[in-house]
Amino acid sequence: MIELREVCLVRRTREEYSDDLKARVLALASGRYRKPRSKAVLEDITLSIGAGEKVALIGANGAGKSTLLKLIAGILTPSTGTIAVSGRVAALIELGAGFDAELTVADNIIRYGVLLGLDRRTIETRVDGILRFAELEEYRRYPVRALSSGMLARLGFAIVTDTDADILLVDEALAVGDESFRTKSRARIDELWRAATTVVIVSHDLSVVRATCSRTIWVDKGQIAAAGKTADIIDRYLRSVDRAAIEALISAGVRDK
Amino acid sequence: MKPLVHRNRHLFDVIAVLFSQTIKTRYRGSVLGVLWSAANPMLMAVVYAAIFSHQFARYYGSVLQYGVAVYIGLALIGFFLSSTTQATTSIVQAGGLLNKIRIPFEAFPISTVAAFGFQQVVGTVPVLVVLSLLNNHNVLHVILLVVPLAGLAMLTFGIALFLSAADVYFRDIPYVYDLATFMLFITTPVFYPAAFLQPTVLQVISFNPLFPIIESARRLVLSADLPDLSMFALSIGEGAAVLVLGYVAFRAMQPKFMDLV
Repeated sequence: MIELREVCLVRRTREEYSDDLKARVLALASGRYRKPRSKAVLEDITLSIGAGEKVALIGANGAGKSTLLKLIAGILTPSTGTIAVSGRVAALIELGAGFDAELTVADNIIRYGVLLGLDRRTIETRVDGILRFAELEEYRRYPVRALSSGMLARLGFAIVTDTDADILLVDEALAVGDESFRTKSRARIDELWRAATTVVIVSHDLSVVRATCSRTIWVDKGQIAAAGKTADIIDRYLRSVDRAAIEALISAGVRDK
Repeated sequence: MKPLVHRNRHLFDVIAVLFSQTIKTRYRGSVLGVLWSAANPMLMAVVYAAIFSHQFARYYGSVLQYGVAVYIGLALIGFFLSSTTQATTSIVQAGGLLNKIRIPFEAFPISTVAAFGFQQVVGTVPVLVVLSLLNNHNVLHVILLVVPLAGLAMLTFGIALFLSAADVYFRDIPYVYDLATFMLFITTPVFYPAAFLQPTVLQVISFNPLFPIIESARRLVLSADLPDLSMFALSIGEGAAVLVLGYVAFRAMQPKFMDLV
């Protein structure tokens, strides 16, 4: 169950990122200090997603879909408004972000699992299963830096999808690895899908959205432009996108990043 | 209530994992690394004793006593300085991770300090215990060492929390703190005795929270008398105050972290 009520998120603009103390003191002393500019990234988002629902977020790049996902994941907190999420959340946002290159594969499984919110004992008992699923059993004692990027993706996927999530948040690229692993990861996703897990995906792949999500939310310029049955919303979304862009999307296999 | 318990369990697990893995990568399973951390201040103490003992040894009775006093000072302030320095950048360095996974921010400075603390507990504390027993043959002194060490731990955690949060706001904090560490080192009676100072200077310096901590530890190891109660009270009191203030400041700065990392 996910419930957002009148959620707004205001973030500082990027130019303020390299702030330093000496410059700030000087600016204050000379009276030239200006408050950092900030920008509303999301405005007045109200939505509710029931347990077991599969919902897609679609929209143009920079519309705020991923940011919305991060709010639901609890990575970001709203500036105003309330968010209530009940159940364990697993966010498949950039698999493997939690790895430490120097540690062994086994240690990294425990590390990543705990960072994702599993308790230590639980993840310790799952190390073998995760290694088996990722087909990395013989790499158990290797440092993670010795793995190829494909292996890393497999490992990340195997861990994240084994964290007993009630709510799965997926940002793009669902399938990872080579063809055989793709089939396997697809199968595990399907399993999670069926296991009454609530799923929210962000995707540009409208065919995937059509095939997997019953409800779709169209995010545009930080606001919800429309929400409802997937087919209707995709229709409206596509109509709003200019004709030439559609042609380009279709010819590129409706896949961009 | 339940989310609070869950949050604390998660925080504890994350700290435990970061702590044990920091130690794993730092020592790569070798005892030598830990021994080195104990030997380092000893070697430095030998150098200080060689240079300054003709001036300062008489305050302590002998060159050896002076050397031990310097060792204690260096070991304690060394722990404080290296762990706070490393903790300063701990949150900013974890920025990439924090943008992908929801992790309690305080886990990073806390686990950094804890890893250095482990080094002290394994490397320095046994040396202090042995030295104290050799000097005083009194177990009470050894037990009371807990007081300055607890004060030091609280002080270090408090400063580490504050600096790691401040670093998110101002990225030049490490440079500013670099200067501050030098000033702190010079204004703490580490290689010179407090009695050597002019009374007015001493008055100012006694505000330094490291001062009562190092002095109490020295007395417990070197002298047959117990330290003044006021020294004990200051060690614990100032440590606790800094810890509370550091944590409060951390919590106050925390809401903006994700805007800035």
